[in-house]
Amino acid sequence: MTKAKQAQNQRSSKGQMRVIEAVMASLIVVSAIAFLYLFAATPSSQPQETSELEKIGHNVLHDIDEQGLLARFVYRSEWANLTSALIVSLPTNVYFNMSVYDVNGNPLSHPLMQYGNQQIFDSSKAVASVSYIVPGYQTSYTPRILVLKLVRG
Amino acid sequence: MRLVREKKGQFIVIAALLLSIMIIAVSTVIYGTVTYYRQERWEEYVTIVDSIKTASCNLLQVGLANYTQTLNQTVLRDYFNQWIRDVRKAYPGFGVDLSYNLASGIRSAYGVSLNYSLGLARTWNQRVSFSASDATVNLDIASAGLAGYSFSSHAFLKMNIRDAVWYSKESRRCVVIYVSVDKEGSEAVVNLQKSNFGVKLSDVTPPNFSVKRYYSRTYSCFIYEIQVNSIDALPSSVEVALQDTRGIKTVSYTTSIQQSSG
Repeated sequence: MTKAKQAQNQRSSKGQMRVIEAVMASLIVVSAIAFLYLFAATPSSQPQETSELEKIGHNVLHDIDEQGLLARFVYRSEWANLTSALIVSLPTNVYFNMSVYDVNGNPLSHPLMQYGNQQIFDSSKAVASVSYIVPGYQTSYTPRILVLKLVRG
Repeated sequence: MRLVREKKGQFIVIAALLLSIMIIAVSTVIYGTVTYYRQERWEEYVTIVDSIKTASCNLLQVGLANYTQTLNQTVLRDYFNQWIRDVRKAYPGFGVDLSYNLASGIRSAYGVSLNYSLGLARTWNQRVSFSASDATVNLDIASAGLAGYSFSSHAFLKMNIRDAVWYSKESRRCVVIYVSVDKEGSEAVVNLQKSNFGVKLSDVTPPNFSVKRYYSRTYSCFIYEIQVNSIDALPSSVEVALQDTRGIKTVSYTTSIQQSSG
């Protein structure tokens, strides 16, 4: 009777120890993972967002250029047509601001080509900027630098 | 028994500790690998390369347009020299460096052998006429560690007088010229208007002509049909001058004119 009780007690304390060991092991693993989370600074989505917008902007300018329209709009100062072409080509929730400069950085486009309120550009943390160069039109070489700024609305 | 149990317990705790160290070490490496791409702005360089590439192709078109209108053989070289300086100005701080090699001698372009000089070639006043420019551009971007990126660019315009027919019937005395126009990539040019063409019959410019465009099953290509009315005699020659929307010019000429009484 006594021996049986002793054996039962021994089994019981052995089981308790196993539980304690398991709890300790779990605590160590969980604390390691918690430690990682504490120090892992999740990268902001801002760079990702701007690079996505840069790609969109570049592709849109490239497409308009491929159609032979970009040089015509720029060199004939058809700013309204250029603005319309960009509005049609860009996704609806993307707003833009476009400026045209000569190679010395002097602005050439008047009035400002913009779609969306200035507030959106001021308040947005992710403003993408795309530079696109057009070397000339028809027979004349007079390079123009197009700077397209994009934000998501 | 007790000692054995204690040893077992220590083993589990040590195993858990080792596991934790492994998790932390592996996570650090994975995190570093994943975020490396995000920290490097590859897209910026890709868009610069693409922008310079497209602009260099456009420069060839501008140079060819100037050459075909002015016959200035050095225009492409002059434009490229200026272009190299302007690209550096346009992308300051990137370490952009361009060099070029203009095509020279006989080269094949879209199935045609052309004799290039300073990157430019033309074969005019024949039934099939060509204007072409060809250059290889090398691009280095020091800030991106890009060196020796090379690409070839072409600009090309081809016009073919497929047929020239003089209709001699009293009720319909006219000359109809069937012309096809192709650009680089052997792609048919389909957006030309009457203002893009000029016609001469027996070296005389007619007062008026009309242009129709359509896909022809007879020629299996896109055709411009140029009709000149009130032509009472079979012309000795037909000359068609073309200036496309890019400003590139070419001139086709033929003395082979069919006569039709139909």
